[in-house]
This record gives sequence, C-alpha cells and structure tokens, in this order.
Amino acid sequence: MKVQVRVDLAKCVGHGRCYELAPEVFGEDERGHCRVLLESVPPRLVQDTLLAAANCPEDAIRLQKS
Amino acid sequence: MEENENPCPRTGVLNIIDPAYTAHPQPAYARLLEHHRVAKSIAMHSPILSRYEDVVWALRHPEIFSSEMDMQVLLGTQRPMIPQQIDPPLQTRYRKILDLRFSRPRMQELEPAMRQHAQQLIDGFIERGECEFDADFAVPLPCRAFLTLMGLPQEELDLFVELKNGIIRPPVPPMDMMAATEWRMKTGERIYAYFEKMIDERSKAPRDDMVTYLTQVELDGRPLTRHEILDICYLFLLGGLDTVTATLGCSMAYLAANPEQRRRIAEKPELIPNAVEELLRWETPVSLIPRVLKQNVKIGDVELREGALVNLLIGAANVDPAEFADPTRVDFDRERNRHVAFGAGPHRCLGSHLARMELRAALEEWHRRIPEYEIKPGAVPQVSPGIREQLHLPLVWRVGSTRGA
Repeated sequence: MKVQVRVDLAKCVGHGRCYELAPEVFGEDERGHCRVLLESVPPRLVQDTLLAAANCPEDAIRLQKS
Repeated sequence: MEENENPCPRTGVLNIIDPAYTAHPQPAYARLLEHHRVAKSIAMHSPILSRYEDVVWALRHPEIFSSEMDMQVLLGTQRPMIPQQIDPPLQTRYRKILDLRFSRPRMQELEPAMRQHAQQLIDGFIERGECEFDADFAVPLPCRAFLTLMGLPQEELDLFVELKNGIIRPPVPPMDMMAATEWRMKTGERIYAYFEKMIDERSKAPRDDMVTYLTQVELDGRPLTRHEILDICYLFLLGGLDTVTATLGCSMAYLAANPEQRRRIAEKPELIPNAVEELLRWETPVSLIPRVLKQNVKIGDVELREGALVNLLIGAANVDPAEFADPTRVDFDRERNRHVAFGAGPHRCLGSHLARMELRAALEEWHRRIPEYEIKPGAVPQVSPGIREQLHLPLVWRVGSTRGA
C-alpha cells in the first residue's frame, strides 16, 4: 500500500514531531516548519508516516491511501 | 485541605498552591476533567480550562485568547517580553527571525557541549553516592546551555541563577507581595542593565553569538530597536532556565520512584526520546498558561467575559481521556502522543527543540553513568507551585554501581 501525504502548512507551527518520527518523509524549512520530502510514501515508510501524523499536535497531516 | 477536596466539588475552586497538588496534580486533573469544564483558580477565582479540546482551541485562537497582559508585578518587566507577550500578526514577524536561531539543526550543534556539561556535573558528585538533584544538576545544566547559546562565559553561571531566581522565587517572606514585587523590579533592572552592556559590546565587536545576531538582523527591512533586543533577551533568560530545570526534576523524581520504568531506559537508551515525551505529557512541569480574553466567549454553558484572565491548564489537557488512551498510564511505548507541554498554536514554545535536546542528552548521560538510584530514604521531595520545580530532590546510589565516563 502506498500513501499520499498532505500537510496543511497554515496549521503547522514547527513542533517538529513529523521530521523526528519520519525523517525520510518530512523535512524542515529554515524556521523548523514542516516540508514534505515524499508526497507519495512507499510501503516501507508507511508505518513511520502514520506515527508522524498521529503525533502532530496541530493535526496538520492528512494521509490518503493510493 | 484534604487532597481529595481539591478542586472543591461544590464550587469548582482549585487550590493551585496546595503542596499535595503541586507534588501530584494528576488526581485533581482527572476530577477537573470529569466534573468542572470551567473551574476557578483559588487566585482571584479566574476561570480554568482543562479539556484538551478547549485548551488547544484557545491556544490556536490568539485573537480571542490574547497573550498581551501586564505581568510587571510577576516578572519585573518594564515592557512585554518578545515574542511571548505579543499577539499575531506582529508576534509572527518576530518568530520568523527567532525561529531560525532555535531550529533543530542549530540545537544539534550545541549537543556535544551539553553532553560535556552534563558529564562535568556528574563527575562532581558521582563518587559521593548522592546529590541534591535540583541544585547539583537540574539548575546548573540549563543555565550552562543558556550561556553557551548566548555566547556568554560560563563564569556567569551564579549570576544568572541569581537573576532568574530573583524573578521567579524572590527571597522574601512567602506572603509579602510588596517585597516580592520590589525584589522583582530591582532584579529586572539588573537584567536590562546586563544586556544593555552586552548590546553595546557586541555592536562594537561582533561575534558569532545570539546578541550579535539580534543587533544585526532586520525585521521588515529595519534593525531591531534596543528595547526589542532587551525584551527578547529577558524572555530567553526567564524561559530558558527554569522550564528545563523543572522538567529534569519532575522526570527524575518519577524515574527514581518507578524503578521498573527507570531500568527499561537505562537498558534501552533508544527509548529515551519517547520517554522524554511521555514524561513531558505526564508531568507537564509548566502546567498552566495564562491568557486574557479579547471578547466574550462561551465554554459549554459558561459565559466568560472580555478582559477576564483565563488559565489554560495544559497539565490537565495532557491527561484528558478524550485525547489520550489510558491517560493515567505512563507508557514509554505510547505511539500516539499529541501532548501540548510546549503549548500549541502560534506561541508554541520557541525553545522546544533546545529543551528536547537538553532533556534527552541529560537523561542519556545520567543513566549511562548512574543507572541505579533512588530518592534518599526518609526524604520528602518538595515541589514548588507555578512551574513545578523539585526544589528538594535528594538522590542516592551505591558508588560501586556507577560507570565511568
């Protein structure tokens, strides 16, 4: 299963949980806000991506099966 | 007051300075969450919000729940601290230039120095088999980190501990508010004067440090004013020291009292980052965030009035069963943990990446050297109200059980 990632950057305030928990999928801009590195997540990274989404205090990460 | 009467079941008044509450607030949090959606603080009966949903909503709506309040009496400040006591959109412009200096990669650059500071502190007491955790470790470590970050000499440690204590815990009789305010104002003047001198020095002879950055950076195409730089430095001093001190103390008090949990992280240090998050959630040492209402707002069936001071009890929000599965269980393997110990919304703690780096480095270095320890038998840890600092946390260990650096 592949997963599509969308981040609502208007909600992101730079907690940084996503790029700690799924560093291959999420990176950071110079302010420490989220930058999506992989919009289409391969199966081996799906577990990390789910974890990142479940730990975002701003609820800014949306995942969709593809 | 009996512990089980806090909050008062009839009036919903929470005694936030009751020692039983400050030591272990979680049972009171559970009662607030179940029975008092809007409780009242014993201080002026100002309303308290506890539910995760309410607290996070408030934190995300600064146009309703404003940070712009006069804290001179409590903080010794002559102007608002920047950016903490400023609302968006101006706050956002300050954050844009400050976030750059507090990003995770920048904080990682400080990590080797932090580990060295932790090692040196441990070296100072490991052979004694005991320490006063607060004074010997939890207070000096974040202060050393602050001095490193600011580019100040480590010899200033005692001065900065004195300055932050002069604001947060002025050495006057407990109920003498006049004396406390006076002490804070005088300490505040000393803080401003110290950084005034720093600004002058760094303007003449720039270095690669924080104050130099603040003298050079531009906000909307203009340099920061002297007042702006002072109001930022004031916040760094107050925000950077006590919060991490309190979190280290509360985390170690928990681990000392729960040997099975402690042994897990001593044996599997890779669990420490998750343990830090879970202890931040469970202990939430900075448990209460004040806001002032810019308009009337209804929470449940309670109408709150414009101008009212509202207490957002993030400590309670972090154990809300509506958000956290099995919230009273401290679970270092917890997978879903959207705790708000660093706040939420635009004012998310500027130093959160610094704090996480410090907490992880400290717990890793400590448990590598001293994996087995306990609270000194007979000692009763003493926890301060407000920011929950373990003022008295004597720890003991068997000298033969320790490990070299």
